[in-house]
Amino acid sequence: MALKVGITRFLGTNCDEDIRKWVLSKNHQAEYLWYEDRFDVNSYDMVILPGGFSHGDYLRCGALAAHTPLMKSVKEFAEKGKPVLGICNGFQILCEAGLLPGALLRNDSLRFKDELTTLTFKNTNNPFSKNAKTDQKIVLPIAHGEGHFYADSENLKKITDNQQVWLTYDQNPNGSLLNIAGVLNAQKNVCGLMPHPERALHTWMGSTDGEFFL
Amino acid sequence: MSTDLAAKLKTYRLSEEEYNLMKQLLGREPKLVEWPLFSALWSEHCSYKSSKIHLRKFSYRNANTPDMDGENAGVVDLGQGERVAFKMESHNHPSFIEPVQGAATGVGGILRDIFTMGARPIMNANYLCFGELNAPRMKYLMNGVVKGISSYGNCVGVPTVTGQTNLHPRYNKNILVNALNVGYFAPEQKMALSKAKGEKNLVVYVGAKTGRDGVHGASMASASFDDDSDSKKPNVQIGDPFYEKLLIEACLEVLEKDYVVAMQDMGAAGLTSSSFEMASKGQVGLVIDLKKVPLRDSTMTAEDILLSESQERMLLICEPKNFEKLQATFKKWSLDAAILGEVQKDRKVKLMWGGEVLTEIDPDLIVEHAPQYKRPYSKWHYPNRVTKLNAPTANYQKLIEKLQKEMKLNSQKWIHNQYDQRVGARTAMDCSSSVAFARLDHTGRGLGLGVGCRPEVMLMDAEVGAFDAIYYPSLQMALKGAKPLAATDCLNFGNPQRPEIMSEFVASVEAIAKASVELDAPVISGNVSFYNETLGENIISTPAVGVVGLRDSVEEIIPDQFTQAHDHIFMVKLPWVESNIYADNFTGKKTEFTLNDTIKVADFIKICTSLDKSIKLEGLKVSSIKAVGLGGIGLTCLKMCTDQIGFDLSYDLALDAPEAAFKDHFYSFLIATGENAEKFEKFLKQHFEKCPVEIKKVGETRLNEIKFTNQLSMDLTDFRKTYQTGL
Repeated sequence: MALKVGITRFLGTNCDEDIRKWVLSKNHQAEYLWYEDRFDVNSYDMVILPGGFSHGDYLRCGALAAHTPLMKSVKEFAEKGKPVLGICNGFQILCEAGLLPGALLRNDSLRFKDELTTLTFKNTNNPFSKNAKTDQKIVLPIAHGEGHFYADSENLKKITDNQQVWLTYDQNPNGSLLNIAGVLNAQKNVCGLMPHPERALHTWMGSTDGEFFL
Repeated sequence: MSTDLAAKLKTYRLSEEEYNLMKQLLGREPKLVEWPLFSALWSEHCSYKSSKIHLRKFSYRNANTPDMDGENAGVVDLGQGERVAFKMESHNHPSFIEPVQGAATGVGGILRDIFTMGARPIMNANYLCFGELNAPRMKYLMNGVVKGISSYGNCVGVPTVTGQTNLHPRYNKNILVNALNVGYFAPEQKMALSKAKGEKNLVVYVGAKTGRDGVHGASMASASFDDDSDSKKPNVQIGDPFYEKLLIEACLEVLEKDYVVAMQDMGAAGLTSSSFEMASKGQVGLVIDLKKVPLRDSTMTAEDILLSESQERMLLICEPKNFEKLQATFKKWSLDAAILGEVQKDRKVKLMWGGEVLTEIDPDLIVEHAPQYKRPYSKWHYPNRVTKLNAPTANYQKLIEKLQKEMKLNSQKWIHNQYDQRVGARTAMDCSSSVAFARLDHTGRGLGLGVGCRPEVMLMDAEVGAFDAIYYPSLQMALKGAKPLAATDCLNFGNPQRPEIMSEFVASVEAIAKASVELDAPVISGNVSFYNETLGENIISTPAVGVVGLRDSVEEIIPDQFTQAHDHIFMVKLPWVESNIYADNFTGKKTEFTLNDTIKVADFIKICTSLDKSIKLEGLKVSSIKAVGLGGIGLTCLKMCTDQIGFDLSYDLALDAPEAAFKDHFYSFLIATGENAEKFEKFLKQHFEKCPVEIKKVGETRLNEIKFTNQLSMDLTDFRKTYQTGL
């Protein structure tokens, strides 16, 4: 069934067009959502927050974007239990907005890192891994400077106990606690990951494992 | 000469003859505000005064390459409605002073050259030269430059897909940072020009506010360094890629909506060069009130404003009726748009300071009548050419260890991994490949991009090295099944007032121009960077070249690396130039070379271009293909290894003398296949039937093994570990 997918656009978002191409290739409808505007939560079936450097990543990654009018609507949308996916900077924004637990710190190498990583699905009971099986291994590229997932021990326990760990790295590229590459909210409708599924859709891209997500 | 005049000439880096020319053109003494105008626009950086007469040799164009008449970058028509604009530019001087900002603003500047034409930037590349690792500041410079390129490119969302990094002591005091960008025009997408036109049309300033950074940057980049390069830090510009990203989106939006008559980025010499060039190209005049320029610092003088090289700014011309809509678009992207003045019929640029007229000059006086010099040079005569090479006496085991220690035999993965290589979701081959490929949105074809120029070859012979700067990336392109279509160059040289350097410059320009005609790949854009000199020491002449090419699809591009054990490795060799560059460097000998004049390299490259198609047509299994680099088959095989797959070259007894395995031959390539060896050799011979090449099996791929000769082998795991390390 064709879904109506809203794609967020903040100043500095730079994977918006890539996400739009991906959504359209699945025969869904794609519409951009501008950062200054609210939207009607009933008129979309899914919201995706693409990667980039929203608002220059000034202050902290995703911190300024998290306080925009658009994010108020995204929160409402998420509270209704509708599916929200944040990729890379989108993931950082969801954490800053309090829609996902934890925070993303600078990579422990203190460098930006672009490489293909092998990941494991830890929980597939969510709207963005319905094509995958638990413990399945996939390959996706990462490209980030701040992907080190962090939560204090209390929250980390909550995340684990409540099966909110979505994806883990097989070889930790950034210092993430518990090798976490992606997490879910408690209700499992809000999903965030650092790797880029939209960059792994064809053999010529080096991997087709992005197909598990949409 | 009065002391006052002498001081002025020094400040503005103008010669006495240039001062006399100024007076003659103006018909009077220059006013105070005119000095900085002439200083900037007549700087080597802006005026190309030492190179212009030679750059005309790049005039060759074909049906795919329209003459852009002095626009910001060259354009290639790819057919089926798709076009690309591309250009390479240097940011050497600023990067040596302040590596992070210098390199970052180099990327920012080249991006603006591309999107000012209305193209969306889709591929970044770079060409870098550093000194020895243990030279003063060198690790700091390398880390800083890489950080600058990555922080800027990653944030604007343009993938960095290929690059070359060279290390040589001759760059200890002058590093090279060349940035290349390719922009894409979809079918029907309009191209923007920089010619100002239409009386009463508005002159509009957009983008970031003007600050004091980069004042006198262009004339700084046109002089040699002395001991005190640190004091030039204020001449370096500061970039903000976030602003650039907004500027890209806003500019492309106003162009698409047709609100813009002409557009020009403010690059070297900022507002001065953009306004004078727009007026000169459009054969009109402009009235500009400098008091209306949005400033970061309200105490800036007219001179500061004219010469500031603050980043992320553009000048555009728009019809008055469209201004409000244009301003609203920029506001949406959180950017300023301010009216500075208007276009006038009278062909003068009139600079105002509120109600006061600072100056009124015919722009052609400065732009078109800039001095041009015929610097002395002599004809190239191949000083190191011999008829027969002496066998080198190097210990190759030690040679490899030395290259590893100097990080010359190294994957450079530590650099490439800091670049976002995939944003845009078009990247089919990234920095790990000898040639990068991006998928073109509308036709799915593969756009190839490679860079060339090997300093060691330039050092051996400037003419051979310059031919190589375009031939080698073209060959690499051809081996991936892409036809080289066009080239851009960034000519990095020392002091042009030294005849030996000027001779290398002229030999290089002529070689690249000749090769581009033979390859039918016109040089459509470029940049010259002279005065890469510190205290009389000059860099190796380094004419870096970028080549774009096209293949039918991005599927099934044969990789560089070995993929499976027990493949046959074949060599196809064209005997043009032979040398032993690494071995000679190692033993401290001057590098000599042989050159066969009868060989037609471009014909060989053309035949290589169709090899990929023939392989697919015959349904042959080919697992890897790579041009042989310096250090011959031996070092090339090392670079083709993976963590599991190595090779054995002891198969060929002719290579058993190590100098044969490590000899440089321009040009040859290696191709690994799982097919029957005889069948494959027959296929290769048939394909290269019209070419005087040598074809033979030289070895096989092996699991966990590296063996050059019966006497020389290495541990694959150890080698890979060293190979992957970086700073």
